[in-house]
Parts: sequence; C-alpha cells; structure tokens
Amino acid sequence: MQAAAPRRGLGVGLGTLLLAALLLAAVVLGTGLGSVTIPPGEVLGALWRGVTRQALEGNDVIVWQIRLPRVVMGALVGASLSVCGGAFQGVFRNPLADPYLLGVASGSALGATVAIVAGWPRALIPVSALLTALVAVACTLSLAREGRRFPPTRLILAGVVVGSVLSAATTALILRGEDRARQVLAYTLGDLGFSGWRDVLTVLPYAALGCGALLLLARALDTLQLGELTARSLGVPVERLRLIAVIAASLATAGAVAYVGVIGFVGLIVPHMIRLAFGPGHRTLLPLSALLGGALLVGADLLARTTPLSQVGIVTTLLGGPFFLWLLRKERHD
Amino acid sequence: MKGILTLITLSGALSGAAAATSYPLTITDDLGRKVILKTEPKRIISVLPSTSETVCALGLCDRLVGVDDYSDYPQQVTKLPKVGGLYNPNIEAMVALKPDVVLVSQYGKLAEPLTQAGVTVIAVNPETYDEVFSKTLLLGKILNRETQARNLVAKIKGDIARVEILTKNAVRKPTAYFEIDPTPYSIGPNSFMGVLLTKAGARNIIPASMGDFPKVDPEFIVKANPQLILGVDAKTAGARPGWSGISALKAGKVKDIPTELNTMLGRPGPRLGQALMGLAKLIHPELFR
Repeated sequence: MQAAAPRRGLGVGLGTLLLAALLLAAVVLGTGLGSVTIPPGEVLGALWRGVTRQALEGNDVIVWQIRLPRVVMGALVGASLSVCGGAFQGVFRNPLADPYLLGVASGSALGATVAIVAGWPRALIPVSALLTALVAVACTLSLAREGRRFPPTRLILAGVVVGSVLSAATTALILRGEDRARQVLAYTLGDLGFSGWRDVLTVLPYAALGCGALLLLARALDTLQLGELTARSLGVPVERLRLIAVIAASLATAGAVAYVGVIGFVGLIVPHMIRLAFGPGHRTLLPLSALLGGALLVGADLLARTTPLSQVGIVTTLLGGPFFLWLLRKERHD
Repeated sequence: MKGILTLITLSGALSGAAAATSYPLTITDDLGRKVILKTEPKRIISVLPSTSETVCALGLCDRLVGVDDYSDYPQQVTKLPKVGGLYNPNIEAMVALKPDVVLVSQYGKLAEPLTQAGVTVIAVNPETYDEVFSKTLLLGKILNRETQARNLVAKIKGDIARVEILTKNAVRKPTAYFEIDPTPYSIGPNSFMGVLLTKAGARNIIPASMGDFPKVDPEFIVKANPQLILGVDAKTAGARPGWSGISALKAGKVKDIPTELNTMLGRPGPRLGQALMGLAKLIHPELFR
C-alpha cells in the first residue's frame, strides 16, 4: 500500500461534517420511506411520541418499532464492518483484507444454519452464529501461527481454507434442510428484516467494544504501516497488536453478522473510499469509515426493502463489485 | 349431497368406460419435450411427492417401483426404494430399477441424463390450483387410467365443494396473513395455497401484484393489520418488533399449521380437499362444530 498523500485536499474537519450529514440524510430517508407510504409529518409525530414514550397510534408502530431500529441497526452494522475492514487492511497491510478474511462470515453462517435447520428459536440463532464465528477465528489463527508470529500470507491462506471448509459444511446442511433453504439463503445474503430495538441493544456492546478497541489502536496501526521492522524498533509490540486487533475486529464483525447475516463488500469498499479522499492515517480512516459505512448500509437497505433487489447483501454486492473493479484499475494506473 | 356425488362418480364411470389410452402415445410434457410412450407403463418411478400420491390415488400404487426421498403418502410408498431428492437424485438407482417411465417435476435436470440412459422421462408439474386437475387427467392418460382420473378429479372437486358450501356463507371472513417461511415469505392469492386460503374463508392481505410466493416487508404486514395469522406460533409473532399491536395477536388468532396439514398444503395433489378442510377448520372452527 503506497502512502497516498492527502493530495485530494479535502480537509478532515469538512469531511467529517459532510459524512455526518450524509449519514443523517440516510437515516432520515430510511426512516421516512418504506413499502408503506407515511407522510413526513406523521413520521415526525411518531418519532416525537416514541422519544417521549407516549402511546403509539396508527402508523407510529411502523416508524418507531420497525423502521427506526432497522435503520439504526443498518448504521451500526455498516459502521462496524467498515471499521473492521479498515483495521484488517491496516493490520495485514493488505488492501484486499476484509472482515470475512478470517472465516468470521463463514463461521457465523454455519452457526446460523445449524440453528435454523435444528429449528432453534430465533433468539438462539445469533448466539450459535457468534460461537462458531469465534471458533472459526481461533482455527484460522492456530493454523496460521508460526511460533509467536502470524505471518500475513499464512493468515490469509488459513482464513480462506477455514472459510471454504465451513462453507462446504453450511451448503451440506442447507441441502439437508430443504424447507428452510430460503431462510438460510436470506441469512447468507444479509437481511435486516426483523431487527428491533432489542436486537440493536444486543449488537451495540459488540460494536462498541470491538470498534472502540480498534479506534484506540489507530496510532499503533499507523506505525505498523512503516513496516514491521521499523514498527518493532519504534517499540510497537507487533504480534500482540495484531492479535488484539484481530480479536476486536472479530468481535464487532461476529456481533454484526450474527444478527443480520453476511453482508458483503461494505468492509472492503468503504475504507478504500475514505483512504482515497482523506489519506491512509488510521485515526482519520477508522472513524470516517464508520460514518460512511453506516450511511452506505442504511441506503442499501432502503433500496433492498423498496425495490425487487430484496436483500441488503445483494445491493451492497451489486454496488460494491463494480466499485472494487474500478478501484483495481485505478490503482494500476496510478 | 352424497346422492349427487354418487351420481357424478357413476356418470364418470359410464362415460369413461370406452376411453382407453392407445399406445404408442405422444405427448408434450411440462418441459416442452415431445415424449413417446410405446406401451402402458408397468414400472413407474415418481420423484415428486404429489405425483406419487396421484399415481396411488389412480389405483396404481403397486406399479410404483421407486419414489423420491420425500414421498411418504400413502403409507405403502414408504416401503419403496428411495431414489434421492431434488438436489441429490440417485440416477444410477433409477436406471437400475428398469422403469418404463420416470415422472419428474420441471426442476432438477433429470430428463437429460435419464433419457440418455434410455429411460423414458415425462415432466408432470402441477403448480397452480387448476393444474392439480389438469395434471391428474394427464397422468390418467399417460398411465391408461383416464376413467379413474376423471373420477378422482370429481371426488376432489366434491370434497372442495363440501367445504366451500360452509365457508362461502361464513358471516365474517377474517383478513389473513399466511407465513410459509419466517424470512418472511408469504403466498399470493393466485398461488395454489393462496386459492385454498381464499376458499377456506379468509381474505389474504397479500395482493396478486406481489406475486405467488413474495418476500414481504414486515412493515407491510403491520400496516395490513390482519385479523388472523397462520404459519407462525404466537410466541414468535409476539416477539417480532411492532407486531404485538396487530389485531390477530390481540385477539389470540395466531395459529401454527400442524405438520401433517402443512405437508398436504404443500402438495398440489389428490389430498387437496382434505388440505382445504384442515385449513377451513383452523380459520372457521365455528362452522365445523
């Protein structure tokens, strides 16, 4: 990764303001629009009655108990995935790294599939997903381990291998439980469908803990970009930094994936967009990625629930794929 | 009522007495393939549970030599060799059973490899309500049981009429949301299950414009505020954000579908009348006291 100078010239302060405005706009649109048409005045009234804990009337339930938590969940998940993506890319100094690299996604998908096929209650699906996700990360790390070190290439390869094996297991399970194939498919494509306030409150600690830790590590991640040897000579405990960053990112990712399924490309694309506009420093990159990622996922989910694209993961992949190709071409020309 | 039915059955039997399928028979199947059956099939494999039921209802259960993994009715077919499911068909096992015909659905890509192995394959794929009858007649023709097929159709229609007489005049027809999958997916009024839901005396909240098996946005269901919810248990429905205020939940009208009824509802076959009866009893228990 070359050190792209902040040549784009966009000031970080202005950028923060713009991105915060973008996130706010996405939240407003996401709350105001949906498959049921509700006039803006009524939406505002519903929000007011929700905030002040008054009795909900008419369409209030739709705005306050269905749309708003869904939008908040989208923002939370988008932010988590993007911060984790940025951190993974920094930790492994690999522009292709993303939250799914370490098999977290495949692990979660397998856990969810087991829970769905076994017919466990909905509340247990994310728990099962989270457990398998953590087991998957542990597998990847122990496969990649060389003494006390985790060489980046070994780690990526191990992640791919673990991911493939878990995906195979998931597929086998899907084919056994044919009636539930749709449900599993929805999960593996990412879906914010039934996200309520309770789900938001469950994901929040994972996101806060994971992303918070990564933000604290931002300065150390910057130093790591100078190269492992340099970082080590500057007193950065490289291996420990890697391990902590990976665990923190896995925690946030698993929390997000467990509740809404596998939403691709957000964690890969968003940090690249921020890096292009504001440069590679992690103290800027991570928080701004959170803002943009949140806005992007809320927008993608709005498209998913109002168009036949139907799944948020389909929208992000459709938007993210071409962007990523453009990015690859651009990097080569630069 | 009984007298009329007997009459229908009798007239069916008389008019059908002369009709026998003449072989070789050329038909265009549901994959659009022209298939020639040289003689009356004596060894039949069915890879669709509803087709297995229809073949048996035509009195040809003892001609079945193999069925798919999911065929389980009537009980007799459970003893037959299993030849796999939609995603894992056991083509070798099918060929080894030396069938005169394999009855497939339009899914699963069985036609080509089996035809190449010299096995006659016919796709018969009932999906809509009306196709249950037309495909039963088609199977009757293919298997030289046209009279029986006509009688079977008359019997199913009689079963349905008996339920409809009751539900047609129900005083209150509840608006209903029928969930077939907790993603959630529901059923449109033109789908096979949707037609049964309407005939059972409910008003489906899903408009035809949403398609036959649409993925539904949860806020749409809350807005539609159905008086009856089928296919979910009350606890699950109550735990969903914003659902506790839906009329059906307030009135305690949330009912899961019993497994056997669910199986029947998923099979466009000869137990259509029974499926409708079961559904009508769930929706209008007061009519069946």
